[in-house]
Amino acid sequence: MTRWLALPGVPPLLALLALLGLWHLAATFFGYNFFPTPGAVFKTLPALFGEAEAAANIAASVKRMLAGFALALAVAVPLGLMMGRSPLVAKLVKPLVATIYPVPKAALMPIIMLWLGIGDAAKIFVIFIGASLPLLQHSFGGALAVDQKLIWSAQAMGLGPVKRLFAVVLPSALPEVMIGCRVGIIMALIVMVSSEMIARQSGVGNLLFNSADMALYDTVYAMIVVIAAIGFVADVAFEFVRRRLTFWAEIHQDPLVPSA
Amino acid sequence: MIAIEGLSKTFETSGGEPHLALDGISIDIPKGQFLSILGPSGCGKSTLLYIVGGFVPASAGRIRVDGRAIAGPGPDRGPVFQEFALFPWKTVRGNVLYGLLQQGVPRDQAERRVSELLQMVHLSRYADFYPKELSGGMKQRVAIARTLAYDPAILLMDEPFGALDAHTRTKLQNELLSIWERDRKTVLFVTHSVEEAVYLSDRVMVMTPSPGRQKAVFDIDLPRPRIRAELLLNRRYQEYLIAIERLVQDGGEDEA
Amino acid sequence: MIGRALKSLILHSASLILLLGAWEAVCRAGMVSPHLLPAPSAIFLRLLVQLADPAFLIHLGQTVLRIAVGLALATAIGVGVGLAASRNRLIGRLLEPLVRVLAPIPKIALYPALILMLGFDHASKIALIVADAVFPILLATYHGARMVEPKLIWSARAAGASERQCTFTIVLPAALPSIYTGLRIALLIACVVVFLAEMISSSDGLGHLLIRAARSFRTLDMFVPLLAVSLLGLALNGLATLAGRRLLRGFAL
Repeated sequence: MTRWLALPGVPPLLALLALLGLWHLAATFFGYNFFPTPGAVFKTLPALFGEAEAAANIAASVKRMLAGFALALAVAVPLGLMMGRSPLVAKLVKPLVATIYPVPKAALMPIIMLWLGIGDAAKIFVIFIGASLPLLQHSFGGALAVDQKLIWSAQAMGLGPVKRLFAVVLPSALPEVMIGCRVGIIMALIVMVSSEMIARQSGVGNLLFNSADMALYDTVYAMIVVIAAIGFVADVAFEFVRRRLTFWAEIHQDPLVPSA
Repeated sequence: MIAIEGLSKTFETSGGEPHLALDGISIDIPKGQFLSILGPSGCGKSTLLYIVGGFVPASAGRIRVDGRAIAGPGPDRGPVFQEFALFPWKTVRGNVLYGLLQQGVPRDQAERRVSELLQMVHLSRYADFYPKELSGGMKQRVAIARTLAYDPAILLMDEPFGALDAHTRTKLQNELLSIWERDRKTVLFVTHSVEEAVYLSDRVMVMTPSPGRQKAVFDIDLPRPRIRAELLLNRRYQEYLIAIERLVQDGGEDEA
Repeated sequence: MIGRALKSLILHSASLILLLGAWEAVCRAGMVSPHLLPAPSAIFLRLLVQLADPAFLIHLGQTVLRIAVGLALATAIGVGVGLAASRNRLIGRLLEPLVRVLAPIPKIALYPALILMLGFDHASKIALIVADAVFPILLATYHGARMVEPKLIWSARAAGASERQCTFTIVLPAALPSIYTGLRIALLIACVVVFLAEMISSSDGLGHLLIRAARSFRTLDMFVPLLAVSLLGLALNGLATLAGRRLLRGFAL
């Protein structure tokens, strides 16, 4: 009878509805003008997307987020895989990672803007750093756990080290790398939003604060909804891709992404 | 032909102490011979195999294959591991195909060879399955086919049937023998089962527990093709079993 | 003994030492303007000087206060809800999809709304820390409690313990190592998020110091709070390691 409740996607959807319900009740109960109901907020969404400037801001933000993440993917994954297979590389990179780890990445924004100017480069760079750490960590862990015999089998077939890294180590570590991707894309989003809130020039984060300054409360909440939606969609999309790419793996973990 | 001369291996333990795993192994293995390396766990027999494979460097001594010193792994020596070590992201067909493509065999030719091999190991129906969908015995058949695919002159088998149940193990032993009868590759077969060693081999090398030294080498003079039911009644077969079993027991009690 | 530990420390941070050395050399050689990149030695010295300055210490104190209160609340909520969800099927089934929806949302986006509701002072920043730090603690508690060997609970039940007693005398202690891991993740998140919040909108705290320095282009003073908050995170992490070793002696960590 309640089997449809267990379908994938249904529980989160119900949770979403429950959240909106709670929000509505709380907003009507308090009745503050700075705490609008979800209905009022959703009514501003079409206007928000219809407005050229806002839509362009959102698109530009997402583009920077994806660019930073792609850069992290290209750099951190191979580096993490090499760390897992070479103790020397691990020994060299680990202390650097441990040093960057506690630094608030988005807080680097003002300093990086000194170096790279106020354009996209600085913003993409900060996102790149933020998304790199989880990718590096998970690629490292995944490569470390690759069955040595698998590598030997490939060696006996005549595969050289570079080819082994991409043809054996990468696919073996893929389930773990994909978990890193899922955490990494969320990290990219977090860094994107917070760095824009700090730099206050353009993008989603800036839009969010400008509307707060101008007392456009409905827009503030609408922007929060938009950011939350980007996070939710990115998470679901990556989980989908992960399942598609690692269906062959023996164990199917379904990691809940911890926020950072 | 493989020539092993004065081979020793010393490991560094996590405490930094050196540990002698293999001590002065010397043996010649003629082309086409089936040699079993028999010993209790921890005697370094697998390490010996890994060194021949070129996966692990030796500490002393040398190994020559057809007169040439080995330098790292190569497709002339194909490993088969107890843990199967299949590529989990490739299908059965993909696993067997991979080595062939790496050797530069044209695709259509490689595909044909894979079909033959899968037929040989009775897995034609499972060509499109992924490793996780197979039983242990089937996985090991795939692994054997994958190694045979690139046609190594030497098979290095590291307790290949050790993780299988008794019934499957017997079946795979017979399959391995019939494959071997066909192309007579040189086989180095590591096992801790006396029965398995005698049943399969031309020669059995018995090793001492830690550090691994050669204790004795037996020539197994039994008719081929081997048929288990007949061998069980064969007087010489029984004598080999008893003699080797005694030798293995002798001094090996403290090693579980 | 100490000599060996020092040697291994140097050996294990060789790349870091090299990087700092190169950075220092580049600055000393005058290859970059100190307005763009001050030397590491200058940053450390400046931090030491600042640590003797009461005004800086007040900012540091504000940041630490927010972290402490935020973490305490997040721990209480996270452990409480996590335990309840692991012991009660209904709560667990309600919670899991909720977490799935809420966890990937960047909590920092809530900050403007929190400011609107709670004001610019402590409350909105503490609320933000709670929103961010509660998830790792909650998830760690939930998974830790779910992993408790059922036979432990059966043994306790057979010995006459009630369900409630089991929760607090068996499940909670058994889940402690996992909770501890979650707490350490939350610790660093709290340090990061409070710093960001202080940068975005504040009149005090380490993050505010960075922004103030940035407005007047004092590059050296921009690095100091960044270094301070990173060291704060490391110090709290080290403290947690020591405390964990003491408190979790019975567990194989």
